[in-house]
Amino acid sequence: MNRIPVESSNIMSIGYDQVTQTLEVEFHKGRIYQYFDVPQAVYEEFICAGSKGAYLATQIKGYYRYARV
Amino acid sequence: MPKNPTLLGTVQDVQGATISIELSEDTITGLAFINGHGYRIGQVSSFVRIPIGYIDLFGIVSQVGASALPERLSLSESHGHRWMTVQLIGESYQRGEFKRGLSQFPTIGDTAHLVTEQDLARIYGRPDAPNFVKIGHLASAESIPALIDINKLLTRHSAIVGATGAGKSTTVAGLLLSLADKKKYPSARIIIIDIHGEYSSALNDHATVFRINPDINKNEEPLFVPYWAMTFDELLPITLGSLDDASRGALLEKIMSLKLATIASHPMSEISSNNLTVDTPIPFSLHKLWFDLHCLINATHTSAGSGQSADTMAFELDENGNPVQIGDAMKVIAPRFKPQNLASGAEKIYLSGSALNLRRPLESLASKLRDTRFDFLFRPGLWTPNIEGKTEEDLDSLLEKWFGGPQPITILDLSGVPIMILTNLVSVLLRIVYDSLFWGRNLSEGGRERPILIVLEEAHVYLGQNDTGPAAAVVKKFVKEGRKYGIGAMIVSQRPSEIDATILSQCGTIFSMRLSNPSDRAHVTGTVSDNLEGLFNSLPILRIGEAIIVGEAVHLPVRTIIDPPPANRRPDSCDPLVYDNSGPGGWNREKEKSDYTEMVTMWRKQQYRSPRLVDNAAEINRTDEVKE
Repeated sequence: MNRIPVESSNIMSIGYDQVTQTLEVEFHKGRIYQYFDVPQAVYEEFICAGSKGAYLATQIKGYYRYARV
Repeated sequence: MPKNPTLLGTVQDVQGATISIELSEDTITGLAFINGHGYRIGQVSSFVRIPIGYIDLFGIVSQVGASALPERLSLSESHGHRWMTVQLIGESYQRGEFKRGLSQFPTIGDTAHLVTEQDLARIYGRPDAPNFVKIGHLASAESIPALIDINKLLTRHSAIVGATGAGKSTTVAGLLLSLADKKKYPSARIIIIDIHGEYSSALNDHATVFRINPDINKNEEPLFVPYWAMTFDELLPITLGSLDDASRGALLEKIMSLKLATIASHPMSEISSNNLTVDTPIPFSLHKLWFDLHCLINATHTSAGSGQSADTMAFELDENGNPVQIGDAMKVIAPRFKPQNLASGAEKIYLSGSALNLRRPLESLASKLRDTRFDFLFRPGLWTPNIEGKTEEDLDSLLEKWFGGPQPITILDLSGVPIMILTNLVSVLLRIVYDSLFWGRNLSEGGRERPILIVLEEAHVYLGQNDTGPAAAVVKKFVKEGRKYGIGAMIVSQRPSEIDATILSQCGTIFSMRLSNPSDRAHVTGTVSDNLEGLFNSLPILRIGEAIIVGEAVHLPVRTIIDPPPANRRPDSCDPLVYDNSGPGGWNREKEKSDYTEMVTMWRKQQYRSPRLVDNAAEINRTDEVKE
């Protein structure tokens, strides 16, 4: 999955796969996670959000299942 | 202010290499500044220099304060005087190189000086020598690199010990990364026996990972350990378990005949029936062995006792007179036989005349042959013998993958191995490595010409103190004789007291990280030959990533802060965060909707990569093509 680099204190880059609705997040510590069943709208909001960390914490964490890549 | 800022005091008492120094009245306690650098005075484990004519003696401070007072004086002296106990370790000419050992002793009244960074550089610094590799810097001086001699590190073996959480795995990863420097040592070869699967992420671009369930996206390769490369004694506990003498003999004969059949049908120039032994690594089919023995014991026959043969076997027949199930060795399906029938008039069916007591062991073998967790042993890919004992690949290609791959480091990840055979498997792997390097020692691929470093991670699991197990035996052979054949062992453990003392005492270099358990500490201190117990008293208070290195690979015992690898290259053993603000997990977030079916799926498949993860191998290939 191609990830787009983002400006954030704890997120390095974000990627999205439309077919499987999978969101991929690379954290600064080098770990990559995939969140499952994330609607495209959420991804688009995420990528545009002013604070990526805050958006992740409030809108994604606790809602979607994930696994470490 | 004293005239000489480095002056500490004068020597008052000499007992062999242990000397007592009385600090002079005007020595500043605390910080002293020399050439702009700050030095703490009277630190335990710091160095002192004692100039005697043309020679400087060097020692390590092991004790400071009232109890460092010589015993006789303790009654008469008040506590107003300040004393230091110093262990002498070596000397150097005023501008010359540092050497271990002493040619003369100091005497009463000689002055003792603080060791400055320039002096330290004289003791430790030889950064140009190509056989030295930098692994960090001195804990007391950041500008002085900590160098280790890789010749001594490998051939005299080493041990890395430290409590959980002291930074052991990170240190190992950092150390191995500096050894696997492709520019400096393009032919380096290191094998890691990694029983927890921690190192693949840390060393990914320097290592080839062999794992039972490989992750193809990460270029991992399947781990295969062909059973036919094992000796008879190694194979037995993994397959049939312990046997009585008669069965053991029968099994030995059977394996021998299968191996003979292999070399008869596929001759090898180096092996003939004259020099073949049951331990010779020649392929044979374990499936056929099982099938033949199963039939030998379980078949019923149309004739009694001595008249029985394969032709007299009484298969159960269906209504058309065809056998219901003749069995399949490779699929581990047993044939079905008619039940015993000795009634008069009917066709007589006799039980097998074999007296071997193998029924149970054979059943356990059959269940292992069917168990997919054992496929890496019993169906080892291209090295699986067919029913005639023919394999697609011979051992050379397996050894080349392990020893001669494109990457300097080979990780044999045993995290998916059933725990009951782990010890046996480790011993087999090590024995294969040892045997091949031992016999090939004079070749360019062999150990003498291209030494190998074997890292035994979590060694206490299979090298227990009272463990007479096979792994301990092989490792003992490694540490006692490996030196001659270019095999170096690096033993990594958090419980040094559980490791066999013979093994630990053969390790010429010891990297000791923080150890708080007294028995572990005593065990490590006991194996160190230097008279530096004072230095080892600081073991419980070492910082994370800090190690005391003693032994052959370093000129001097050195307290080092080891360079950690970059954050994305740390082993997986980093503690999970219970409160995690930056990552996705932790207790401090809402609980998302759960789905435990996936957990069960992964458990059943014995695989920890989620099947839901989007496969990006195809994606990567596509972007590569675009770049080209």
